[in-house]
Amino acid sequence: MRRWKRPLRRLALVAGAGLLAACGAGGGDADPRARRGGPNGDFTYPATDYAEQRPGKPGGTLHASVGTDTGTLDLHAISHTNAQWIGRLIFDNLVYLDDKGEPTPWLARSWAVSPDGLTYTFHLRDDVTFSDGSRFDAEAVRLNLEHMRDPRTKSPLAAAYIAPYVDGRVIDPTTFEAHLSRPYAPFLDVLAQSWLAMMSPRQIRLHPEELATRPSGTGPFVVERYERQKGLILRRRADYHSAPDYLRHRGPAYFDRVEIAFVPEAMARYAGLASGETQLVFDAPPQNAAAIRADPRLVYDSRIRTGLPFRALTYNLDRAPWTDVRVRRAVAQAVDREAITRSVFFGEVLPKTDFLAGTTAYYDPAAAGVLRYDPAAANRLLDQAGWTARDAAGYRVRQGQRLGAEVLTWSSPTLTPINVAVQADLRKIGFDLRIVEMPLSQYTERQHTGDYQTLSAGVWHTNTPDALYILHHSGEISSARRIGQNTAHVRDAELDRLLERARESSDPAELRRLYGAAQRRLVEIVPGVPLDENHSLVAYARRLHGVIFDTSHNTPVLTGAWLDGDAR
Amino acid sequence: MRFVRIILWRLLAGVGVLWAAASITFVAMNVTGGDTAIAILGGPEALPTAEIVAQVRAEYGLDQPLPVQYARYIGRLATGDLGESYRLRVPVAGAIAEQAGATVRLALAAGALALLIAVVVASLTAGRETPARAAVSGAELVLTAMPTFVLGLLLLFLLSFQLRLLPVAGEGGAALVLPVGTLALPLAATMAQVLRQELDAILEQPFILAARTRGLGEAAVRYGHALRHALVPLVTLFGHMFGFLLGGAIITETLFARQGIGRLMADATAATDIPMVVGITLLVAASYVIVNLVVDLLTAAIDPRGATA
Repeated sequence: MRRWKRPLRRLALVAGAGLLAACGAGGGDADPRARRGGPNGDFTYPATDYAEQRPGKPGGTLHASVGTDTGTLDLHAISHTNAQWIGRLIFDNLVYLDDKGEPTPWLARSWAVSPDGLTYTFHLRDDVTFSDGSRFDAEAVRLNLEHMRDPRTKSPLAAAYIAPYVDGRVIDPTTFEAHLSRPYAPFLDVLAQSWLAMMSPRQIRLHPEELATRPSGTGPFVVERYERQKGLILRRRADYHSAPDYLRHRGPAYFDRVEIAFVPEAMARYAGLASGETQLVFDAPPQNAAAIRADPRLVYDSRIRTGLPFRALTYNLDRAPWTDVRVRRAVAQAVDREAITRSVFFGEVLPKTDFLAGTTAYYDPAAAGVLRYDPAAANRLLDQAGWTARDAAGYRVRQGQRLGAEVLTWSSPTLTPINVAVQADLRKIGFDLRIVEMPLSQYTERQHTGDYQTLSAGVWHTNTPDALYILHHSGEISSARRIGQNTAHVRDAELDRLLERARESSDPAELRRLYGAAQRRLVEIVPGVPLDENHSLVAYARRLHGVIFDTSHNTPVLTGAWLDGDAR
Repeated sequence: MRFVRIILWRLLAGVGVLWAAASITFVAMNVTGGDTAIAILGGPEALPTAEIVAQVRAEYGLDQPLPVQYARYIGRLATGDLGESYRLRVPVAGAIAEQAGATVRLALAAGALALLIAVVVASLTAGRETPARAAVSGAELVLTAMPTFVLGLLLLFLLSFQLRLLPVAGEGGAALVLPVGTLALPLAATMAQVLRQELDAILEQPFILAARTRGLGEAAVRYGHALRHALVPLVTLFGHMFGFLLGGAIITETLFARQGIGRLMADATAATDIPMVVGITLLVAASYVIVNLVVDLLTAAIDPRGATA
């Protein structure tokens, strides 16, 4: 009973019988990482997944593999997904989130926010150094924030995440004051992500070219060698002592070395794990999940990332037929997410009908049922919208016009089958979805110029419900002056107000109310079709112990990991 | 004199080839690539600020009209400057140099292995109607028809995964076996087919009969006389096969997680990394020019009949 799907299905049945109160963990599961799921797809992992449970044995080398190379280790300069777990190996951050998404101390021992929400005063640790010998202090924080937003860094992510940051003042070596232009409560959340990690001030000032290949951090491992398209070799920092309190790990990491190979071919990653050459695989191929789960020596873990779900379609609300909310809703209810995720992801991802990942702080399951798969309801909605006649090919027509839309996409082994499956589902309700494949760079350009009826394949993972703002606030629509991620072109005064007020609030009760209302509003607006939760897929040898998961993106943190039989 | 003329003429043509390769790649990437600045900044899932997009446009000259960009670009290339990779943010020449050695090793090993297999197999089976010949011909047919990635996956699955004989990836000699084999086997099959056909024809020639009547043994006839005459088409073929090796390298390097310019090219193309794509294209074009030059010189040396005085 290691798969989460089975407990989940059972939960759904139980919920149907009105007995949902009692269901907890995937009962009697031998896997210590047993998952708990609520009836509506809200998901919590046990808190024990996020902190060290018992001390490990030092020594040994971990061999890991991953599908793609980030190309550079200057994490401020990229938006690559893998930056999150790579960052946790080399760098520390100012804060770390707990499993509820609340900031806890890391390099900042404590902080205070002014009543107007514009001034953040951080009190920093005074006993931390970077691996190149430079000190971690308030000036280091200031230089890091400057480096993130310096146009020459060409940051596609970190700069936007700290956009409200105006300037910083070094009050004394352990006190740093950040000034914001407007209240921005997610500031602390984003500071916990690796794209905003703390890098050596000496390198930022004097040798920025070193940041790409051998950056110095204050983290548990030091870069020994980074070879593009080959691997990243890290060695332990013997004097590391600045793991976040929340991890409950004291002192240096257990592994002497961590060697990560970049292995693009999924089958080769799987073969390496099965043969014992590697003990941990990031991007563990879902097509091999069943085999890995069947192998008693191996563990497969498919974990929901925080942030936003994977969207199969994003409607452009400025363009017909998406100007009609009945059509938007009908299409969202016509997509059989269970069937698609089963065939494309081998059941390793959770189908999704609402707009915030179930693992994100302030997720509200109340919105989950509204857009559930219901082709009969979809047909009724289209009838009500006046699309009652059918043409010779079976598609709905109204005033001589066929009901349909063009969806832009690019070619990929995962995307193509999803698009085709969605197309087939929509055909059943008389909707003609026309798939237009193009190179990714052309797709990106058209996304930013707003020149599309529909977009395929959207994801956004982050560690804060403020992702809802990034995707749906009217100020986040791309224009000639800025690039934004509100690709559905949602302009909704009520939603804007809720998301703005959430940025100004730090009161958990109020945030719950605001984000809950925003999620319920989104299933009324229907900006697109969520398909499934966005997962982090990892597989590892059972003799690898102490893998802690990151509260920020649910990816592995290896500070407390160790290998049985390999320790000294 | 003959060699000098061949060399000069070929080098002149080579410069033309390089210019054409750079130009066509530059235009193709710009026509299909969408907005380069946006592509550089992380694709659809990124939030570059307007200031940062402007910085990228200015720094890489993307705010200039395309003809100006082209003129600047060719001008820089002429001075030997390949520019900075958009994706990796390091000089293109350095990034290629970092990866080229692995590809050269792979290609040389595969080429040598293919040649060895082809010569042995063809000279053993030519001019004989045996079941062994039929089996070898069948295998050759399958190998030449099979796409590289299918062969690679099959070898990976059988030797590495099922039988656990060889590592999936890594550094040592054992890790070289699968990629080299994947590249060499189809090449060997094609070369063996051509070579055997040549040998079949040569073994019917009167001078072979003459050699046999002089009392020479079978091995001396085959390796001493026939093989030398069959080498010319093989050398020519090898020039063509160089292209196969490079194309196969993209797939082999990705499949077996090897470093190399094939994989670098695949990633650069996907990321609209124009300087990197042009840089690798130029390197490949230059190698073609040189390999074909060497092939011509070798042909002239082996078979003086075709040469003019």
